[in-house]
Amino acid sequence: MAHLAEPAAEAANRSAPRGPERRERGRSPRSRFNPAYLFVAPALLLAAVFIVWPIIQSGWMSLHDWTIGDDSHKWLGFGNYTELFHDSRFWNSLKVTLVYAVFVVVGQVTIGLALAQWLRRTTWYTMLLRSAFFFPTIASLAVTGIVWKFLLDPQVGLVDGWLGKLGFHAQAWLQDTHLALPALIAVGIWKNFGFSMIVLLAGVQGVSKELLEAATLDGAGAVARFRHVTLPALRPAILFCVVIGTVNALQLFDLTYVMTDGGPLFHTESIVMYLYQRGFVDFRLGYASAIAWVLFLIIIAVSVVQLRMLRYRDDD
Amino acid sequence: MKTHVKVAAAAVAAGLLAAAGCSSSSSSGSGSGSGGGVVKLSVLTGFTGPDGPSYQALVSQFNASHPNIKVTMDIQPWDAIGQKLPAEWATGQGPDLATPNFDPGVIFNYIKTNSVLPLDASVGTGDAQINSSAFPSSVTKAFTVNGHLYAVPANLATVALYYNKAMFTAAGIADPPKTSDEFVADVKKLTLGGASPTQYGISLADHQTIEMWPILQWMNGGDIVGPDGCATINSAASVQALSTWAGLVQNDHVSPVGQTGADADTLFSAKKAAMELNGPWAADGFRKAGIDVGIAPVPVGSAGPVTIASTVPMMIAKNTKHKTEALEFLSWWTGKTAQAAFSKSSGFPPSRTDVTVDDPNVAVFAQALPTARLYLAGLPSSSQIDSDVYTPLLGQLTRGADAQKSADAAAKSINQLTGCKS
Repeated sequence: MAHLAEPAAEAANRSAPRGPERRERGRSPRSRFNPAYLFVAPALLLAAVFIVWPIIQSGWMSLHDWTIGDDSHKWLGFGNYTELFHDSRFWNSLKVTLVYAVFVVVGQVTIGLALAQWLRRTTWYTMLLRSAFFFPTIASLAVTGIVWKFLLDPQVGLVDGWLGKLGFHAQAWLQDTHLALPALIAVGIWKNFGFSMIVLLAGVQGVSKELLEAATLDGAGAVARFRHVTLPALRPAILFCVVIGTVNALQLFDLTYVMTDGGPLFHTESIVMYLYQRGFVDFRLGYASAIAWVLFLIIIAVSVVQLRMLRYRDDD
Repeated sequence: MKTHVKVAAAAVAAGLLAAAGCSSSSSSGSGSGSGGGVVKLSVLTGFTGPDGPSYQALVSQFNASHPNIKVTMDIQPWDAIGQKLPAEWATGQGPDLATPNFDPGVIFNYIKTNSVLPLDASVGTGDAQINSSAFPSSVTKAFTVNGHLYAVPANLATVALYYNKAMFTAAGIADPPKTSDEFVADVKKLTLGGASPTQYGISLADHQTIEMWPILQWMNGGDIVGPDGCATINSAASVQALSTWAGLVQNDHVSPVGQTGADADTLFSAKKAAMELNGPWAADGFRKAGIDVGIAPVPVGSAGPVTIASTVPMMIAKNTKHKTEALEFLSWWTGKTAQAAFSKSSGFPPSRTDVTVDDPNVAVFAQALPTARLYLAGLPSSSQIDSDVYTPLLGQLTRGADAQKSADAAAKSINQLTGCKS
């Protein structure tokens, strides 16, 4: 397209009257005000008031001993961050969050990809299965958490009831320090793989049939076609799923709040959960803001790394 | 140019519409005022449970008997109250009265920010006064800071022993346990099925609940924090009690590990546990679950009769425009007539020790009031001790941790939080 566009632009330049162009250039920037700015102004204003300003304000609060309701707030500089650095519970919550994010993102993208490949043809039963697999994505996280908490109850839950009938001992899934986080991860994957499946399904269906046929004619088997044709074509979709999935997973709160309350013994306490505890239970908003800023920086860093690792060009 | 003017006008109109959309939802909020000679008082509470109608009925009764005051009670989840009330009251806004939290320890946060009104002006023994001497002494002590009374009990409850009569009969036990030794023996006898119990002797919760474990410590002379603010969690009596009950859970499987209060209730309701320590609010649910339930006083240990009390503080905003009416409301709320009516409709014991209770099921809870104790009362750091130290300690002990070492570590953490130097 670029080759075609250049001569046309040159022709247009040649045929344009020189005088008016000079006058146009001579106008002040103010006279060339683009009215589109007025259309985006309300949205920009809302974003500035409700997103940008709170971010800046929380950064300011993180530098103070800021307790809800206090008349004055003592300046601490980076005191909250220093305390955070030595806070074992913060490091524990960071570890829990990262472990959760890694397993959930890998799990949801892998399962989503496998299902997208399996359900790529549109028939009545694939449509039925796609809907069934996508359903958890649209269910509320809090509702999902309550339902799974009930299902996993070791005394009255369905899961242990069935396991008992198969001859297994009941497991205290959410009360056992070794099982609680894996159980939470499993629910997190179940909740999210439908989203990855739908995004990747669109990608799979968009893979060039010509390329696939050419690969087949060249003797490539199903695995080779998937690896060398489908997978590279899905790179933008996978990148999207990974970035969105990671950002969501790093903000884990609802599920653990409802299912485990961060327990047992902080084994499922995520960063946001810990932030909530310090900010809205202990009223230490300055310290909670410092936690929020660390999480903010972590999300930016992880997203940048992912974009670099999975970067692609249209002509790849 | 004309096009630009039209576009600009459209953009301005769009902006105004957006602004109007934003502002349309900003006029709500709790307020108070007076009009036509009637003073309007707003009360914010967190009574979202089944006992909510009983509080509403009390407010209606007050409104009917006080034509010059109209009280409106707004009920919101505790979390929502905790997030907005501190800032509202600190800036002179919000409701005239509120129950800031179900944890009485939270009153310190509001006193510290000078947000609440001392009630001393209305304290007295007259019918139209707040008779703090009629409250259980532990409650008056918890709500009195630096010699000033800052809150009254919006409700008051004690914990008693619920037991499944059918399970007791099946086990050949005629009566509920009366002593701590009988309690331990019965809990063991009522646990069936060994390592994978089919029936638990007791349903103990260790988080998101009214605390059960402090009762087990207090029964035999143990405690968590002493009156001087120094930890007593690692005293010999405390460690022995914690060790005994953690051993019963860990080795004898008398209760599941790591239950919330709701889990514990579900277990008892599902007829999978023979006993549970709980407050009066649980009785209805257990009966509706079809359990032939008995309610008995907490068994008595070597330290004499004791149980835990739970109370929700009700406070007045310092900057309310209607101090006199707000104090009048609290005086009436804590009066004999209102407390008798509330006890009858809610099943809670009255907040006063001088009100007679006829219902034998409520009487069990009311009779325990004189010896009931509040959990971590009078400690500004109570919520942090609970969430950061005591609850994790119980989690460690019931999963096999050494009682003395864990209690020593907990004592160290508690002393850091309370500022105890010894």
